[in-house]
Amino acid sequence: MKARDIAMLTLDVIAGVAVLIALYMALVWVPDAANLISPDEKVAQHIFYLHMGMNVDAGLGFLVTLIGSVLYLLTRRRIWDMIAVSSAELGVVFATAVLATGSLWARPTWNTWWTWDPRLTTAAIVWLIYIAYLMLRGALEGAEQRARFSAVYGIFAFLSVPLTFMSIRWWRTIHPTVFSGSNPGAQGGFSLGPHIRLTLFVSMIAFALMYAALMAHRVRLEQDAQAVQELKEQLL
Amino acid sequence: MTYLAGAFAVAWLLTFALVISMIQRQRRLEQEIAALREILEKQR
Amino acid sequence: MSESGRVTARARTDNSPHEWNAQTTRVSPAKSYLRKVLAITWKDVISELRTREIFSAMFVFALLCVFIFQFAFDLQAENTRVLVPGVLWVTIVFSGVLGLNRSFVLEADKGCLDGLLLAPVDRSAIYFGKMLGNLIFMSVVELIILPLFMILFNLPLWHPGILVVIFLGTLGFSAVGTLFSAMAVNTRTREIMLPILLFPVILPVLIAGVRMTGGFLDGTALAEMQNWARLLVGFDIIFLAIALMTFDYVVEE
Repeated sequence: MKARDIAMLTLDVIAGVAVLIALYMALVWVPDAANLISPDEKVAQHIFYLHMGMNVDAGLGFLVTLIGSVLYLLTRRRIWDMIAVSSAELGVVFATAVLATGSLWARPTWNTWWTWDPRLTTAAIVWLIYIAYLMLRGALEGAEQRARFSAVYGIFAFLSVPLTFMSIRWWRTIHPTVFSGSNPGAQGGFSLGPHIRLTLFVSMIAFALMYAALMAHRVRLEQDAQAVQELKEQLL
Repeated sequence: MTYLAGAFAVAWLLTFALVISMIQRQRRLEQEIAALREILEKQR
Repeated sequence: MSESGRVTARARTDNSPHEWNAQTTRVSPAKSYLRKVLAITWKDVISELRTREIFSAMFVFALLCVFIFQFAFDLQAENTRVLVPGVLWVTIVFSGVLGLNRSFVLEADKGCLDGLLLAPVDRSAIYFGKMLGNLIFMSVVELIILPLFMILFNLPLWHPGILVVIFLGTLGFSAVGTLFSAMAVNTRTREIMLPILLFPVILPVLIAGVRMTGGFLDGTALAEMQNWARLLVGFDIIFLAIALMTFDYVVEE
């Protein structure tokens, strides 16, 4: 076994254990939120820990795509492009999970699967943008050009997000803002007791670790794909 | 309860689908690398 | 592309403008730059004046949009004030994409882009030139469909505020669209790729445009729509700057 395999395996185990701990805390250990009344709402509130964890992963995924894109254009090293595409792919999968879990939480809490709330709408658009990013990659031939173009698009994709969010926010919002500020229109929000705070913290760390572990594997996949390409070129 | 189970099922199904697809792709690439190396060896 | 090829391409663009400037003396750098930009725009305008390919397609498509929306939404006197801003902007965006697609397809098909890149001009001048061309085509179409909207839906759309909003929106649209169009022509799917890349990124412009157009129709004061105005101007500035910085990477070949 190479040192890298050992490091990756260690990261896998740590991330796996952390996720299991986070799941135990979210499902069993943490008490129901005190201010929620209906039993459905109380149970569904536990989705929140998973939702936030996946949200951290999606956010990390898209942020790292931006970083990889910028660094690729500056350094022209293939590894940054590999990091960017790997991260975008993970980001899209986790963003799908965020939308799905959010929807399943909204149904018992807001009594609707979907509302055109700024955060929901922005999340959906971000999801679409990164699907477009992956489609762009699929439609380009030539590794160098693909890396260049998708890096440019990766920069635009990330920078348009705050503007999109701002533009959609100037409609009334009902998404609960848990962390800061008071939003009188928000429904289904809950106060953060020490238990909830800790569980949330642990699950966000655990999911960030899971992201790191998956990234390590996904980047290796990309490197192996390049190795295949190089071997084929040697044969020709 | 249904919603909680549903949310966890969807989220983890997606995650495992990703992991499984990654494992498959990895395996295929490793096979391909091995095959190509073999051909290169024979050529020499 | 190989490393050495890229280096020579860089060297070419870096050195040549200076030589060119040296020959055409007594012209300030800013003026000569502007002249190059306008030359590229003018080239597009002239070829368009000869063929009228892009313009007629955009215009007919915009007209069709109006009719399709009319049948889809049954735009009556009571609801036009609410719906028409949206219809107007969707028409602008859709016909704009049509024009943007042609913008680089023509260049790429006839090998003109290579010629342009060989010319002793800065890459950013090429970007500005193409962008300005697209802006002009879209503006001309808008200037024709706007009175048409006024007649068909009986709304006071010829409002200075609305004209400015449409200009700012079109500027942001063509700033991003020109860059993405240069990328999309190189993809396998070409025309199909551009809207998929462009629409999600351009969304803030669309929202701000619809909101402000609706606001001006309702007689809302500009002071109440300051946030939208700032968003629109901010989008234009930010994305024009990034497009300018990244255009080099898109056309380097």
